[in-house]
Amino acid sequence: MDTLQHLVSGFAAALSPAYLTYALAGCALGTLIGVLPGLGPAAGTAILIPLTFKLDPTGAIIMLSAIYYGAMYGGTITSVLINVPGEAASVVTCIDGHQMAKQGRGGTALGIAAIGSFVGGIVATVALVVVAPPLAKLALRFGPPEFFALMLFGLCLVSGLAGRSMLAALLMTVLGLLLAMIGIDPVRGAPRFAFDVPDLYDGIGFIPVVMGLFGISEILLAAEAPALAAVRTRLSRLLPSREEWRRSIGAIWRGTGIGFFLGLIPGIGSIVPTFMAYVAEKRLSKTPERFGRGAIEGVAAPESANNAYANAAMIPFLTLGIPSSPTIAVLMGAFIINGITPGPFLFQERPDLVWAVIASFFVGNVILLALNLPLVGLWAKLLEVRFEYLAVGVLLFCLVGAYSLQQSIFDVWVMIAFGVVGYVFRKLELPLAPLVLGLILGSPIEKSLRTSLEMSGGDYSIFLTRPLCVGLLIASSVVLIGSALKLAPKTLREA
Amino acid sequence: MIKALAKVAVSAAALLAACVAVAQQFPERPIQLMVAFPAGGSTDVGARVVASIAEKILGKPMVVINRGGAGGQVGWTEMARQKPDGYYLGYINLPATNTVILDPERKANFGADAFVPIINQVLDPGIVWVRADSPYKTLKDLVDAAKKSPNTIRTATTGILSDDHLAILMLEEAALGAIFRIVHLAGGADQLKEILGGNVDVAFDNVGSIAPRVRSGELRALAVMDHQRSKFLPDVPTMKEVGYPSVISSSTRGIAAPRGVPPAVLKTLEAALRKAMEDPEHIQKLESAGLAIKIMVGEEYAKYYRETHEQAKKYTEWAKSRAHK
Amino acid sequence: MAERVVLACLGLLFGGMAWIALGYSLRDALGPGAGFFPFWLGALGLALSLALLVQSWRGGSIAEAPLALLPRGEGARRALALLASLAVAALLFQPAGFRLTMLFFSAGLLFALGVRRPIVIALFALASSFGLFHVFYYWLQVPLPIGLLGI
Repeated sequence: MDTLQHLVSGFAAALSPAYLTYALAGCALGTLIGVLPGLGPAAGTAILIPLTFKLDPTGAIIMLSAIYYGAMYGGTITSVLINVPGEAASVVTCIDGHQMAKQGRGGTALGIAAIGSFVGGIVATVALVVVAPPLAKLALRFGPPEFFALMLFGLCLVSGLAGRSMLAALLMTVLGLLLAMIGIDPVRGAPRFAFDVPDLYDGIGFIPVVMGLFGISEILLAAEAPALAAVRTRLSRLLPSREEWRRSIGAIWRGTGIGFFLGLIPGIGSIVPTFMAYVAEKRLSKTPERFGRGAIEGVAAPESANNAYANAAMIPFLTLGIPSSPTIAVLMGAFIINGITPGPFLFQERPDLVWAVIASFFVGNVILLALNLPLVGLWAKLLEVRFEYLAVGVLLFCLVGAYSLQQSIFDVWVMIAFGVVGYVFRKLELPLAPLVLGLILGSPIEKSLRTSLEMSGGDYSIFLTRPLCVGLLIASSVVLIGSALKLAPKTLREA
Repeated sequence: MIKALAKVAVSAAALLAACVAVAQQFPERPIQLMVAFPAGGSTDVGARVVASIAEKILGKPMVVINRGGAGGQVGWTEMARQKPDGYYLGYINLPATNTVILDPERKANFGADAFVPIINQVLDPGIVWVRADSPYKTLKDLVDAAKKSPNTIRTATTGILSDDHLAILMLEEAALGAIFRIVHLAGGADQLKEILGGNVDVAFDNVGSIAPRVRSGELRALAVMDHQRSKFLPDVPTMKEVGYPSVISSSTRGIAAPRGVPPAVLKTLEAALRKAMEDPEHIQKLESAGLAIKIMVGEEYAKYYRETHEQAKKYTEWAKSRAHK
Repeated sequence: MAERVVLACLGLLFGGMAWIALGYSLRDALGPGAGFFPFWLGALGLALSLALLVQSWRGGSIAEAPLALLPRGEGARRALALLASLAVAALLFQPAGFRLTMLFFSAGLLFALGVRRPIVIALFALASSFGLFHVFYYWLQVPLPIGLLGI
């Protein structure tokens, strides 16, 4: 049956008043969930599953999917405005986005994020329609050895995040990697560095750590000199300048590409594509020193990558029934409760449902843009509030957020502790981004190494006999050698 | 003398009335139902369905909270610490809960007696499955291959010391000489990905996770580890039928409470949950998700708990000392 | 100076973790054991900390324009107030319950930061305690703690 015909009938369904309303509600709720502290997309989606018992399956899934990619955008709002990542993937946006906000360009940052997200989402959905099944099958070739090599490649990118001192960046990366090793290890399945504290059995929570490192430290730093906070009270422009547009366009396309391809690979997680997009932009830029100080590409690239990833991750889910992330796993649970099994036969058994859902992705992305772009100005005005109220508000936000993750006061303490740590590190100009990168990659690198060795029975040649893996390892070596060549003369000079 | 007797009678009556009153007043506020795994998993799905029905029966909300992590250890540790007032319940997954307690390296700070099992909901039998185009058409093919080239067939579990892991060991025990190369993956979805991608050869999991895909022909199931065939997959032989009657393994999901909850409260909960699980909506939703309901209460469930614990002990010790990890 | 202290602390942390990692086996039948990566990462971290310490001794520094680590005067008071209130709130969260803790947190911190408008403080405090509680507990079904006083 003709794909176009399917799509058209899908649109007819998706644009029906009922489904349109669900998509709208989903986008709005999703953005709100993304903004609200702690309540990540997975938890938010899970809470709304009982709602779907009352809707028909198609409607339920349209709404849940809208919540999913709506939440991706919501997290951006808090990252830009108050340096608190609303959900894990928004961490990278904090780096330049918040700097832009401090310079009075918060509206611009949010605006470009909305536009970038829109482009990313639409492109990914078009690709879903056109090339879904064959691409998805290809992505399956990504087994544990390839994963390991990819994560290793991601780690090598840390050199792209270093500022003045490469040694400091390396130090922070190692710290991040070590912190990631707290918790259950992939070898014995027993806790490591947990010291009989049950709260540590699963490791230090990622969200409390970044909320502290970025959000709390920001407030502590600002407390010292609230005179600086007065910068925020300048009126913010909403649309980017010509110059900023020019720079963003390339970033948006590149970010979309990176996010899309990584989204096809189940299990990557949303943070890796955003980091990679950011580092790629920085490396390709002729003026990399602008990054970290409010470069608009530093917002455009990760945001496009983020949304492209979220929409692309639906491809392995719909075509093969493999959930790429915890949130999509919740979505799958919703499918199953409604008696639908995602997988290759879904397209044949329930084309009406699948194509209505796909069409609603298009519609949803449009709704998201229409919903958020006008509100950008309103959000940015938030920063004009006086420091005293803003500070208390942000701290409240973080307290509730950290606690509501797992109803654990331990998470709150972790956040406070890392708030102090972040404060100290920032004062000493020890870079935080490599720490976060290490924290994210530590677990997958070790796990995929272990699984690869279990697969090969302890034989390391598995990494050298699989072409995709070899390719990635070579890429990592290239990046490493390149960075070493750049680093060597500098350190020699310093020594 | 009569006066003393009368006093005792009155106090007893008062006590009885108080117990009844407590039971009648319970619940006075929302009840939390903890699932020790992330949202979207099969335990979670079952929990949400039963909670949405049970809360109507109890008259107060029943809120499902997820406490995933450390293979369930995080959630069960938290439950063991809760006040036994009946307002915090949690799912126990046997034998996962048992292996967490039994593995010395896990340093679980709760023992088998930390929980009082209330009612079991799902009994999901173990299953051995492969890709539809796999060279193994029957379980015999698989076992023969494992004997012929020991420690080469990549066999996936859903986690270290999961019921699947123990089931592989059971099969190795029953089919002497067969040795599998065990690969620990992160769950059913991970298994699906790696099997379809050709990175592992065979997977041990539970019926509920993959029944629809076997029915659609995408995957092939070799054997079910139950006493009788699964009604979701009537064409798949049981382990007994293929010659290994001792390999019986399943993952059960049931609701428990921290030890010390007053018996009257337990009775109220048991009755309400049972009624919810017998509700046609519950049955229909769980069946469409491929989850086999097996309600067990009281002594039957307690006995099952004890037996599973004993069996898990044996295989946990073997798993830890196995030469080929 | 502050840089050196922090680097030294980090060095100790790395060394400590490497030491503990030795207790988890370094190798096993299939490859790196549970202690392998932590040990080598800890060792690497220690080496990096020492390298940076040496660099610092030689007069270099990581930061381009090193700021004073500990703030002075008014700024110090504010930062400390923020930190202290966070800690107190975290301590009181469960025993006192969400609503009471947040009430005093908001009101107290606003006051400590210099706000002197009682009506605004009262409104803010009520919204952030009882208001937020209602949203999370009833609408979002996120159980926030109810303290010993039943509030």
